[in-house]
Amino acid sequence: MTRTLYLVLIVAVSSVAVFYAIRLSGGDAVAAVIQPGTASLEAREQLRELWGLNLPIHEQYFAYMGRLLRGDLGNSLTNNWPISEMLIIHGRHSLLLGGAALLLVFGLGVPLGILASLRRNGFTDISITTLSVGGLAVPNFWLALLMVWLFASTLRWLPSAGCCSPKQLVLPAVVLAMEGLALTVRMTRSAMLENLDRDFVRTLRAGGLSELRVVGRHVLRNALVPIVSLAGLRIGQIVGYALVVETIFGWPGLGQVLVNAVLRRDYAVAQFFSLVLVTLVIVGNWAADLGYLVANPRLRNARSRAV
Amino acid sequence: MTDQNLTHLETWDRRQAEYEESRRVGPIKATFDRMLRNRLLLFGTVLGLIVLGAGFVGPTISGADPNLQNFSATHLPPGSEGNLLGTDHLGRDQAVRVFIGIRVSLMVAAGVTLISLAFGLVLGMFAGFLGGWRDRTIRGVVDFVWGFPLILVAVLFAGGLGEGLFPVILAVGLVNTAAIARVVRGEVLSLSEREFVEAARAGGLSTPRIMWRHLFPNILAPALVLASYYVAVAIIAEAALSFIGLGAQPPTPSLGGMVSDGRNFLHINPWASTIPGVTIVLLVLSVSLIGDGLRDVFDPRLRHEAKGVEQE
Repeated sequence: MTRTLYLVLIVAVSSVAVFYAIRLSGGDAVAAVIQPGTASLEAREQLRELWGLNLPIHEQYFAYMGRLLRGDLGNSLTNNWPISEMLIIHGRHSLLLGGAALLLVFGLGVPLGILASLRRNGFTDISITTLSVGGLAVPNFWLALLMVWLFASTLRWLPSAGCCSPKQLVLPAVVLAMEGLALTVRMTRSAMLENLDRDFVRTLRAGGLSELRVVGRHVLRNALVPIVSLAGLRIGQIVGYALVVETIFGWPGLGQVLVNAVLRRDYAVAQFFSLVLVTLVIVGNWAADLGYLVANPRLRNARSRAV
Repeated sequence: MTDQNLTHLETWDRRQAEYEESRRVGPIKATFDRMLRNRLLLFGTVLGLIVLGAGFVGPTISGADPNLQNFSATHLPPGSEGNLLGTDHLGRDQAVRVFIGIRVSLMVAAGVTLISLAFGLVLGMFAGFLGGWRDRTIRGVVDFVWGFPLILVAVLFAGGLGEGLFPVILAVGLVNTAAIARVVRGEVLSLSEREFVEAARAGGLSTPRIMWRHLFPNILAPALVLASYYVAVAIIAEAALSFIGLGAQPPTPSLGGMVSDGRNFLHINPWASTIPGVTIVLLVLSVSLIGDGLRDVFDPRLRHEAKGVEQE
């Protein structure tokens, strides 16, 4: 309960932060939209009044949040497109890409980590570990470019950009997932190794349980809970990288919309979508916090005192 | 369990050996010797010196203008006469642009490190040593900032301040400040329970004096090591943001921007984006090797903490 209250508070605080951050420079939305020298001073003044820009900033904030809570998201300043429609269309694309990436992070990362831990120090382990270190070291936009060069330009297996066929999804999803995937592999491997050495495993083996049952039922369960409970953190990571990856691959998701809005000085769109992404990150972190507590009952008392 | 005891023993043995050595040859020389013996650090430093050398000396030797266009010599491959690393789609000399790009990257990294080190140290020390509501407030803000993806914060700042290097430095500096403040706070907490702080307090020294004369010198080394670790983060962030057009603005040659310029010509001239891309990777690699090496030399304990930072 306290945690949920805390979540609402944090979202409110960050909405204020986003609102001010967008206006940090005192940049003039009107000047950004109108070509220089094409409108009279009166027309500019009218537009400013229409958008409520002549009010003090805190009044603008409350007016804006009021409209937001009533479901009135407003229109884009550059093409007058309703923001609610943008949210639905681009949000769907983002969900597809982010979901695919998340699936890769856990659906591929966990099995690879388990495989590496069971073949400890063997060839499989060393290649998986090396690849995951590589996945952490290479900046993702550079990885994206390498993959476009290899799979799109040279081998011509996959398209280099666009949306939304399964073929077009492959490259952006892999690039978006790479860092989380590498982290998951490493964490799974070390958690498995830690648990494989524990006394209860020896007891189980001595009791004559098959290896499959020991690993699958007992070790895995102990090792995976903390990793999967941190899925929320991966969401935050994916949201951040989506800004870059969607731009590279021309994937029309929320990240690309936000970057384009910032580049075009479309404050209405930039503000709303920053708010959406920030909220997403906060909820992800909150879920990770909660998941971690659920997964580690021993921490419950210690953590609630700390927070 | 046995494993853990063993590592403790090893650490203890090593500390003992290090201590005896520093008694024999003096602390500065002992540290320097240890740095030389650390292969990671050595390799990173050599690699770093090569890349940095290219950044600082390169432009002076070639003396060319990084933005000089020559449309009769576009897309030249590396090794062409007069253009060591070839030219890009506007016929600009790649070598000169890469050299200047390294400088831009390092400038951003320096700015970020200065900001994050200064604020991170101050915030972390205040929170850790003063405790109470100050600690809770600082920790709340720091944890809040630290939870955000770097790129998202930078895009927000670019939205407010316009594109350019300044918002990038500010955004990355802010997030790294949080990262450093967290670790500094933890270190201060454990230091303030040590005898020398207690003794200073019992001796009637004022709080500011204890913080400045007794805590600060003990915090500085780990903080510097941690900051060197985050230099790599800053370089990658700058490159990524310049790549999507929110960082350095043309015609400023930035490595990320050059990769982005070259990507439209991958099929004619893959070098145009490969060369700056490889430069970024080398730069990041050398910086992180130096960071890892420094950490091993100065503060072996931090090895685990930095890993935790990376994993969460």
